[in-house]
Order: sequence, then structure tokens, then C-alpha cells
Amino acid sequence: MPPEYRIKFLPIDRTYPAEKGDNLLETAMQAGVHINASCGGRGVCGKCRVRIAGGSVGSLPNPLLSGNDWAMGFRLACTSTITEDVVVEIPFESQVDRSILTRSAILSDLGSSAANEALAVRYGLDPLVARYYCELPKPDIDDNIPDAARCARALSAKADCGEPMFPLGVLRDLGMNIREADWNVTLDVAPDTCEITRVTAGNRQSAHYAVAVDIGTTTVSAELIDCRALSAGSMVLASSTDYNGQISYGEDVISRIMYCRKRRGLAKLHDIVVSTTRRLISDIVRDAKIDIKDITHIVIAGNTTMMHFFYGIDPKYIMLAPYIPAATAFSPSGPESLPLMPGLDARVYSIPGISSYVGGDIVSGVALSGMADRSGITLFMDIGTNGEIVLGNCEWLLCSSCSAGPAFEGGGITFGMLAAPGAIEKIHINPFTLEPMILTVGRARPLGICGSGLIDLVAELFMARVIDRNGKFSLEKQGPRLRRGENGMEYVLCFASETGIERDIVLNEIDLDNIMRTKAAVYAGCTVLLKSGGIEFTDLDSVIIAGGFGHSIDIEKAIIIGLLPQLPVENFRFMGNTSLGGARIAAVSREFYTKTADIARAMTNIELSGNTQFMNEFMAAMFLPHTDDRAFPEVIKMLGNR
Amino acid sequence: MAFEIPRVKYTGRIREVVIGSGPGAVKVGGADCYPFYRFEGEMPNPPRVAFEVWDSEPQEWQEWAIEPFRDVIGDPVMWAKKCIETYRAELIVLQLKSADPNGDNRPVEEVAEVVKKVSDAIQVPLLVWGTGSDDKDADLLRRIAELSEGKNIAVGPVSDKNYKQIGAMAIGYNQVVMASSPIDVNLAKQLNILLTNLGVNEDKILIDPTTGGLGYGLEYTYSVMERDRMAALTQEDAKLQFPIICNSAPEVWKTREARLTKDDDPRLGDEKKRSVLMEAVTAMTLLVAGADIVVMRHPDSVSLIKDMIGELCA
Ligand code: FES
Repeated sequence: MPPEYRIKFLPIDRTYPAEKGDNLLETAMQAGVHINASCGGRGVCGKCRVRIAGGSVGSLPNPLLSGNDWAMGFRLACTSTITEDVVVEIPFESQVDRSILTRSAILSDLGSSAANEALAVRYGLDPLVARYYCELPKPDIDDNIPDAARCARALSAKADCGEPMFPLGVLRDLGMNIREADWNVTLDVAPDTCEITRVTAGNRQSAHYAVAVDIGTTTVSAELIDCRALSAGSMVLASSTDYNGQISYGEDVISRIMYCRKRRGLAKLHDIVVSTTRRLISDIVRDAKIDIKDITHIVIAGNTTMMHFFYGIDPKYIMLAPYIPAATAFSPSGPESLPLMPGLDARVYSIPGISSYVGGDIVSGVALSGMADRSGITLFMDIGTNGEIVLGNCEWLLCSSCSAGPAFEGGGITFGMLAAPGAIEKIHINPFTLEPMILTVGRARPLGICGSGLIDLVAELFMARVIDRNGKFSLEKQGPRLRRGENGMEYVLCFASETGIERDIVLNEIDLDNIMRTKAAVYAGCTVLLKSGGIEFTDLDSVIIAGGFGHSIDIEKAIIIGLLPQLPVENFRFMGNTSLGGARIAAVSREFYTKTADIARAMTNIELSGNTQFMNEFMAAMFLPHTDDRAFPEVIKMLGNR
Repeated sequence: MAFEIPRVKYTGRIREVVIGSGPGAVKVGGADCYPFYRFEGEMPNPPRVAFEVWDSEPQEWQEWAIEPFRDVIGDPVMWAKKCIETYRAELIVLQLKSADPNGDNRPVEEVAEVVKKVSDAIQVPLLVWGTGSDDKDADLLRRIAELSEGKNIAVGPVSDKNYKQIGAMAIGYNQVVMASSPIDVNLAKQLNILLTNLGVNEDKILIDPTTGGLGYGLEYTYSVMERDRMAALTQEDAKLQFPIICNSAPEVWKTREARLTKDDDPRLGDEKKRSVLMEAVTAMTLLVAGADIVVMRHPDSVSLIKDMIGELCA
């Protein structure tokens, strides 16, 4: 453990621990200490000036600080690192009445490699496609069995995979391949169907990879997995995320299905999602510098509609009552039926789903969360475009989809973006001056705001009384950052000169409406699901939050806006993209993959579309934090008499 | 064991709101049981009927609706007086139709002047109903609240769009507000929270749940009011414990069934009797659902309703 230092912030007199090398601005953010900072921590805006009143920090001179300032101990917090105990004086213009500050309760993504490995060990490391190196005895007149039987015989000495079969595509070149390899070959075997999916020359056992893919309505993510993770160190070798190219054909699944009705519509949407996936796979293969031929299999988790598109199956009946998908489980397929990209002849598996609106992505997440193994009751919420929620324990599981919309993935928000470098992910706002303190992913120049930033922003504006309880700009507050724009009132988070996009980054009324709708749908979905199970929020053992809206989430702020129920912070866990996480574990553990099928079978789906109780709860949740003050007593207390 | 009639367990009470000042002031609300469930609780202030008066001569009223007011219909002051003196009105609702931006769009000052004249001329409480246009009402009702200082009038409809402007003046000049939301329990509650957060006193709020006429959505209003009352009385929902006003007269009288004459369709029977009954049935339904004030037009339907209230509160 690196030694812990004590950082004392004056004049509010709050001490907070930090480790060597921690960034001072980040530490302040964690400690709930406001320091103006509007360039995301890039050392560009010069607003994060603080004076070091005791001890010292690691910091380089910056043209924004005069020699005189430097001598007096002024530093830019965003470019200072902790090296010892230090006393930091916050200048007057950054100060906030301390009574208003709440300490943040930031939970980071739990998808750490240690957790992954623990899970893989628990389920047993046993990749969906195995690799074996065989030195085949050369045939002669006494040992003259066919090439295929020769491979099978060699394999039976190493693994129990019955009578292995060769798909035609592999068989056609088999004779030539093994001879060119001089009889020393690596065989890829899919134990589920006893198929030898590929024959490669030489010993490739030390290079055995899989790809996990999450196909979301708004975003697609892929990871390169090392199938020998336990010996090779980290399991995830590279990862990449991008918007689903289908977005230009509609933001939600319904509009995409509508598009499918056009001539060649389905083929087009299929091509687009496949090419998005292909691009991501190329990225990670390039980043990890591996040979694409060493990818033996791919595990895909996606919502039901996306899986239809991916496999090129017409999803039209999903949209029509009574909303029936063609399938929710898809059998493993090879490159013959699903050619993804040249050179890649990996077998494709997918995590099974439950219904039209609760797909394999959710099953994957639920399996990863472990909620179906525990007796305590867990609420699992995936805050993505469809907003799926699962409630239950080892005995029962209820699930729903509440059509939350893509706001927290950056969709439908003027300056919304994915949690990529340059995304503003943490925000504090001085309630008096309305000056912001922001941090961006990768400390790059701000480009936009990601989901976690949006949650912070709305909560902070609300606490600063810039936003009223009905989620509208209050016209009482004024300042240089509040103005009337094209879309009604807006708050300027970053002025153009501080950004990487040469435009002011703002939050406007339309954005606010979209966020309100999304958060209301999620909360209403949870309420209805809990009522269906006869459960109160306080009966919950834990609440697991999944979704691609950031690398962390400030639970307290999410409660302030009524996205999450008011429960003790310790009850929450943030797991990031659990759909991808589940696919990742399934890739290396056959037992885990089987478990996902069990979970899919065990879930009961509760339909929320056209559910009057849901509509009613939705209206109740279209307020900050909620129409029912009694559900958010602490927030109401914080608001005082508002 | 003797049979015991099951009783609803009430935990809340509707707030009492006073409208008007002096001897004519009227108090509504105060019930701690469902409407007319006087065997389970108290209804200290019986529901009231408010007569409607228009701020300018109505152009499209049916002959049989004009009839009782023919001599005064061009003069809001005389009209209001006739309601009080001849038909014993206890409350007057002045409907500011001429200010409607989609109609005559009379300027704020002119309309406010009419309101002032009426309010100076009568002793019973005055309720002023704006145009329903958020912007126009913000200006209009603000001015009226100011001009009526000391009268404790009620102004509305106040929406989530103009509650700040109107609410602030109502606080300043100590008037009652009629908080209007579109047939939804949560929206009603949200507006009440916004108003009280703004500083509007809790005994200065009436809820307008938005009224549908008989055959034109009355059932929606009914079930929303029912739920308002359940939340207020049995779920301690403090932000819904306000008296309810239903501006029902214009809704009833504009329907096709209240307009067609016997000659247009003989199957519908006598037009006057029919319209009067439609108005009475609408009002009765609203009262049973929990209205504390119903706005009515025709003296005949009013007298039916007063009989009903009298009997149920006897
Ligand atoms: S210079 Fe430090 S945040 Fe901008």
C-alpha cells in the first residue's frame, strides 16, 4: 500500500486522505471541496489556483501563474500531485458555504481484473473454444487412417470431446494444411458441438484469444480477452467502444424496426451493426498487436432487437402486439453462416435473452452481478437506452424494460457523449457564483458531457437553485453562465475557449427535459417492479447499477435527482458495462455460459408498456427528486424549505 | 357477535380555505372523511355552488341559458348582483372570456377594470377565472390580484408555467390561488409543492383538477378527484389536502347535447330540461367525487344541486 497523506483544505477545514501521485483537483472533488475549474483539469483555464500553505505538491510552473504567484505558493490544482501532507488554501473566489457541501459518494466501476479472475476461477476456466497443440504422427502404410481421424485420435489423448467433427469448410483444406504445417498443428475445438473449428500450423497455444462484444442500441463495445488469463495476468488485453452506426436510422429500437420495413432495410441495418463490430475488433486487434487468427471465438451480448439485426433476422414482430421476437437464444455459428471479417473464423456465441425487451445483455449482467446466487434481494438496473431492471435473488427473478432513452449515454443531449477522453465526468458547481469545477475523462480538453457528468450537473444545478423541483430552469438565478439560447434557457458549463470543440458546452431546457424523462422512467420502472414483487426499497440488500454512462457514479447526486432510491450508500454497487462483463466471463468459462441460460429461463418478464401503474409512477417521478417527498427524506431535508 | 359496519380509516383532513372578506366570506374544506360520508367523519363546511358571470356579453349561449339573465347579460356588475339577489348566489365566478388571446384579446387594464367594478359591487366572495393562456393569465391575474387587495379573492387557473408570477402576487396581496393541472394526481401535487415552496400559504390554495363535462371526460375527472381524496384523507398526502374547485359550467354548456334543440333531433327531448339535467348531473357527480366548489350556470340546475347538498348534509 502506498503511504497515505493527509490533505487539509482551508478555510473550510476539511482533511481528506490521499496517496502519493494523486491529483490535487481530483482529491478535492472527492473530498467535496469546491475549486473553480472549467477546462477539465488540463491546465488551460487557470481557474483552479490554490495556495499551498503548508507542505508542498509536485507541480510545474505554468504561464497562467506569474513568478510572484508561484513564489507565494500558488499552484494550479489540476496539474499538482500529492507528494506529502499538505495544507491547501482555497482562494476566495472558489469558496462555498461549507454547510452546503455534501461529501460525494463516488462509486467506481467494479469491473476490475481481480474481480474478473475471481469469477472465472469460481466458474472454472474453460473457454468456449479450446486450443490444443498436437504433433500428429505422420501417416504410413500401417497407420493409414484419414487425416480427419488422425486429428481426432491425437485430440482424444488430450481432451474429452467425444467424436470430433470437421465442418466442411475446415475439411476442404485439411489435407493441405496439416502437410504444410509438417503435421504439427493447433486444433481449435468447440466442446459443445464437438467440432474442430480450425486447424492452424505450429503451436499457437500460447496465443489464445476471444472477443467479448456488447451490442447496445446506442453503443457497441468490444474487448479482447486472453483465454489463458490466469497465467497471463490481465484478462482484458484491449477494449474499444463506439456509437452503434445504426443511430442514424433512429435512436430507439422501434424506429430501427420501422426502418427494416423499407426495401433492403434489414440488410442495411445488419451490415451496419456488423461493420461497427468489425471496426471495433480491428481496433482491439491492432491495439493488442495480436494475430486475428488467434481469436477462436466471440461472445455477444445484446438486446433482443440488436441480436436480430446482428444475425440478420427480421425483428418486425417485436414491434407488433403481442410483441414476439423470432428468438431470444441463438445457436453458435461459424464463419460459413455469419462471415464477420476476413481472416476471422471465430465461432460466434451469444448470451440468451428473455423477451422482446429484455435481452441477453441483461441476462449477461445479472449473471455477472451474482444476484441469482444470493439469498438477499438485489435490484439490478441497467441505465441504458432500454433501461432494463431486474429484481430478485437465488429463488426468483423479475425483469422489466422501461424504455428510458439514451440520455445517460449521451443520446438526445446537445453536448452529450460517451465516457471517452474529453467527456466531462465529474462536476461541482459553486451555488453562489455558479462557477463550475469539472473533471474530464483522461484530463483532456472538454468535448462534451457523459452520463455521470449529466447526473452531477443536474444535481448541482438543482442544489444551487438554478433548476426548480419541476426540472425547469428557475428564472430567479442570474449570472454570466445563465442565458437564453436557441433552445430556451441554458447553463454554460465551459466557454468555447476552454473546450476542444470551439463551442460553448451548455445544458439547455430540452436536454433537461430528456434527462428528467429518462430518470423518471428508470425510477418508475423500479417502483412498479418492486410493487409487483411486494417489496419495499428498504427490503433491498443491494442495488447494482450498470450502464455505460461513465467510469464512476456519484450515488448521492443520483439520489438527489431521484434516479436512484434513497438508500444508504453502502447498499449500492456500480458495475459499469455488465453486459460486456458477462460476455467476457462467458468467453473463458463454459459453466458461466451455461449459467446465463439458467438465468434466462428463471426470469419472469413484467410488461411496462401500456401499464397504467407505470404511467402513474412515471408522472410522479417527473419531479426533483420525486413528487413523493416521503421517499426522499434526506434530499428534502437538504433542500430546506424548498 | 353483532355486525359492525366497516369504517374507512382516515388519517388526514382537508385544509380549510376562506374566500372573500367580511360577513360574506365563505369557508370551504375541512372534511376529514370522504364526500358526504358524514357517518364516518365531519364535513364542517358544506360544498358550495358558484354562479358564473362573464366579463362580456356571451355570443354563443343557448337561448334557454340566456333567459334567466336576459336583462343583465351585457353588464357583469348587474349580472352578478342578479345572481346574488334573485338566485341567492353565495359565490361568484367571473370568467374573463373577453381577455382570451384567441378571441377578443381585450387588454389587461380594461379587463382588470371590469373585475374591480364587480368586486366592489358585491359582498359575496369573488373567484376570477382567467383565459387559460399561460402568458396572458400571468399578466392579467397578477394585475387583478394587485387591484383586489384586501378582498381575498381567488385567482386562477394557475399552471406550472405561470405559477411563479401569479403566485408571487397572490402572496403579496394575500389572495387565494386556484392551482390547475391536467387531470392527473401527480401533476396536481407537483403544482401544489411548487406553490408552497414559492411561499404561498397552505390555506390559500384550491385545486382545479380540470373538469370534463358529462359524456366528455367526466369519468377521468371523477377518478382523479377520487384518488386525490384518497391520498389526502387516507395516505396523509399533505400536498393534496386542499379543497377542490370544478369549473364545470362552460364544459357542460358547450357540448353538442346541450346545444341541440328538440327540433334538431326529437329523440333528445326538451332542450332546456335536458341541459339543466346535464349540468346538474355533472355537478352532482363532481360533488360526490370530492368537489368543494362547483361552478354552475343555470338557476334551475343550481337549485337541484342545492337541494341535493342540503339533503346529504342534513
Ligand atoms: S487550469 Fe486547472 S482546471 Fe483549468
